[in-house]
Amino acid sequence: MRLEPTMKQMVIRRTVRKFAEARISPVTEEIDRTGVFPMEIIEELGKLHYFGLEIPAEYGGAGLDAVSYAIVVEEISRTCAAFGLCISVHNSVSANPVYQFGNEAQRKTFLVPMAQGQKIGTFCLTEPNAGSDVSSIETVAVRDKDTYVLNGNKIFVTNGGLSGVNLIFASTNTSHKKKEFTVFIVESKREGLEKGPVEELMGMRGNPVCPIALNDCRVPADNRLGAEGQGLKIALSTLAGGRIGIASQALGIAQASLDVSLKYAKERYQFGKPLYEFGAIQNYLANMATRVEGARLLIHRSAYLRDQGLAHTKEAAMAKLYASEVAVEATRIGLQIHGGYGYTKAYPIERYYRDAKACEIYEGTSEVQRMVIARSLESE
Amino acid sequence: MKRKERDSSSKDVWIFGDYRNYFQNRVTLQLIAKGRDLARNLGGKVTVLVLGEQVHQYAMEYVAHGADAVMVVDHPNLKDFQVETYTRIVASLVGNYRPDIFLAGATPFGREFFPRVAKRLKTGLSTDCIALEIDPENQLLLQTTPSFGGELLAEVITQNHRPQMATVHPGVFEEQPHDHQAIGRIIYPEVDIARDDRVQLVRSRPEQSKKGHLEDAPVVVVGGRGVSSKEQFQMLSELAELLGGEVGATRPAVLAGLAGEERLLGQTGKKVKPKLLITVGTSGALQYTTGIQGAETIIAINRDAQAPIFKMADLGLVGDARSILTLVLEKLRKRI
Amino acid sequence: MPSIRIDRHRMTIIREGVESIINPIDCVALEAALELREREGGEITVISMGPPQSEEALREALAFGADQSILLTDPAFAGADTLATSHVLARAITRLMPFPDLVLCGKQTIDSDTGHVGPQIAEELDLPQVCGVHEIHLDGDSLMVKRLYDGFLDTLRVSLPALLTVSHEISVPHHIPLGNLEKAFSEGEVIRWGLEHLDLTEEEVGLCGSATRVWKLHKAAAKRGGDIASGSPQRLAEHLIRKLEALSIIDEEEGKG
Repeated sequence: MRLEPTMKQMVIRRTVRKFAEARISPVTEEIDRTGVFPMEIIEELGKLHYFGLEIPAEYGGAGLDAVSYAIVVEEISRTCAAFGLCISVHNSVSANPVYQFGNEAQRKTFLVPMAQGQKIGTFCLTEPNAGSDVSSIETVAVRDKDTYVLNGNKIFVTNGGLSGVNLIFASTNTSHKKKEFTVFIVESKREGLEKGPVEELMGMRGNPVCPIALNDCRVPADNRLGAEGQGLKIALSTLAGGRIGIASQALGIAQASLDVSLKYAKERYQFGKPLYEFGAIQNYLANMATRVEGARLLIHRSAYLRDQGLAHTKEAAMAKLYASEVAVEATRIGLQIHGGYGYTKAYPIERYYRDAKACEIYEGTSEVQRMVIARSLESE
Repeated sequence: MKRKERDSSSKDVWIFGDYRNYFQNRVTLQLIAKGRDLARNLGGKVTVLVLGEQVHQYAMEYVAHGADAVMVVDHPNLKDFQVETYTRIVASLVGNYRPDIFLAGATPFGREFFPRVAKRLKTGLSTDCIALEIDPENQLLLQTTPSFGGELLAEVITQNHRPQMATVHPGVFEEQPHDHQAIGRIIYPEVDIARDDRVQLVRSRPEQSKKGHLEDAPVVVVGGRGVSSKEQFQMLSELAELLGGEVGATRPAVLAGLAGEERLLGQTGKKVKPKLLITVGTSGALQYTTGIQGAETIIAINRDAQAPIFKMADLGLVGDARSILTLVLEKLRKRI
Repeated sequence: MPSIRIDRHRMTIIREGVESIINPIDCVALEAALELREREGGEITVISMGPPQSEEALREALAFGADQSILLTDPAFAGADTLATSHVLARAITRLMPFPDLVLCGKQTIDSDTGHVGPQIAEELDLPQVCGVHEIHLDGDSLMVKRLYDGFLDTLRVSLPALLTVSHEISVPHHIPLGNLEKAFSEGEVIRWGLEHLDLTEEEVGLCGSATRVWKLHKAAAKRGGDIASGSPQRLAEHLIRKLEALSIIDEEEGKG
């Protein structure tokens, strides 16, 4: 296993950095303040293949490997966590399952516009009574000849506000004793799908997270992704890849925090010298840098396993767990280093602090990740 | 010219006379002064080379500012500074007269013409030198230039090739005062003046300057936390205007309502690379300095001698900004 | 900023482990070339002289849209000043079939900041040159170009073949689509030419073929570390005025000379 990035991966990182600094950096503060994504940037990202990162070129994607994908998400998130979230969720848990489990017709109809950013995707799993406990979902899909009728409420749908394609996770065949789950591709403009108001969030404020309600929403059977009852398998397989993406997003936040904290420590003078010369601050920065490096290695290893076609459930869960906790700690310490100034909006660290917390919760809470890891250890 | 040529070259220092924008552009005069210093060490003389049409007036000026001789090639074909034509003529003259050192100002013309001459003569050229000295041991010209974007300083020598060529940015050296009693030779060499017509100047007009655009301003005056009132900030605006530039501000100044967000310089604001940046009452926080580090020359005014801004200033003035600027504005208003 | 290591023995910059990037101004030149190709057709070849890891930048050039990328690399090329560098590049250009109509360079690069190489290639190939161009149009068998020069807006006609150096204003480099990068690295080819292929001798290139040599090399001390003056406001005001004069920002006072 290579421990150093390849030439290609270095160029990719640099290319994304250039774009992020030129086009996204000037608007991150405004996005956080207003909670609105500028659509021109979404369009630009689409043309540059950011919405089809791992999708093969024949469907309009970039065809990148998982490590390169992780690098892209990290670099975007380093500049704007809300965009990083959008890209990670769209790629890992929306476009990717359509590619993996969709038939050719579905790929042509849905995957191609998704890969080009013309339709942003969501993965609707969570409900008011079903967060970590996925099997408690109450959305049902009832077969009626060659359509399904969907009823239910999905909440906290990342990208919901701007999505064109939604993967809805519903239960089918409820008469059976064992619950069966099935995934449906439901277009936003389909009658019976209603989006609720965008949530007012603590952080990741540019991402239009909202509830999606399904009221007698009729969906053609052709929109069913995979077979009836295959939903859980799809979800679990999808989530593993999703963890790599979301871990990279957390890493981007942690790295950004390290960047600004280092800069601040070098230029802020107190007691006649820069903060950097105080042992307490050096300890903070050393810890931060070490943990960021650790998170990156965990992420890249799980991505590497994925690229090799090897099992990586445990590693991906570890990466997500660790990176999210590193992000929270890095931003907390980073804000402390900035002192009073860090508490104001004049510096970006307070935004990173607010953004980081979500990483420990979504895409499987830290508690769920630990469950996954423990179960994996059990069977070893 | 190579190896053996070194010994057969004269000990003279030649300066290319770039007389365009004569009153603003003093670089030739500055190089004459430096040239005299170098020639003295070598035991040679300073000659200025002037090409153009109706250029005799400049010859007299150059003598008055210290040239021992001025070589003049005056001809209608030389009216525009045409690179290929000038290259051929200058290279041929240098070939005949063999100066040891040949200097030019790093003006836009100098930058594109001098490398071509150096190539034609197959000799070495260093650009944007910030220092030129004669090494006492080997009599070589030590050419100090920044490289790698200013992160490194290189001391360069041209050991076996002649002439040793270098360009220098205006403002590095100081000219010597005009002396109307100075005496010098004016030489009119024989040279073939055929024009190279592959590049033709079709049209040339003075450029319209863009008003109010911070990133394009040649001069930027910046106010920081130390500028404590709107009235004081107004002084900076006036200074900027008198110098043909724009005013900028740091984050604390913007927060204090002294300037709008569009004037903000730094990490979260604009990045500027003016010819001159005067930064007033700014301590030198990195959030700010990343926006100005590309400036050619930085002058800092601050009351605190320990302020980090002085580490990145070419000239630092420790004192009360208001008093200093009041006096500066008084003088400038009379002149401009 | 990647840290730079210096080989004290040969006084050259060690380039291993330093990311090899396309100089930003060359990106601009490449974008200008793409725009020209779109309007007038033609083929774009990118040539660079550098150590083997420069391949990275040349693949990036392919992803950017170049038709062909050529890396001139040979241990003998190391330590070259602009005289030797322009010689190698000029020779490589003569090896292109057919000979190009237009050679484009950036006005100045980040790594040595001299801006010499363009004019020196032009001199060796006997091409007319115009530097600092921000607009290029094909007009018959010549080019009409515009540039800002010493406070003037010049319009010039240049006969082909020619060499132009471009300024930043000529175009804004596009952002490379990530799929193009993937393709350039998996399928793209970077051609390599060394001493033999270019029919050059060791004496003509590298350190041997250079006229200038670095005598001493050191990290610039403080960022600028200029003079710090203190004293009365009058004295400081005078000092400031003198500096403004030296920089040609303001004219010298009348009656001073």
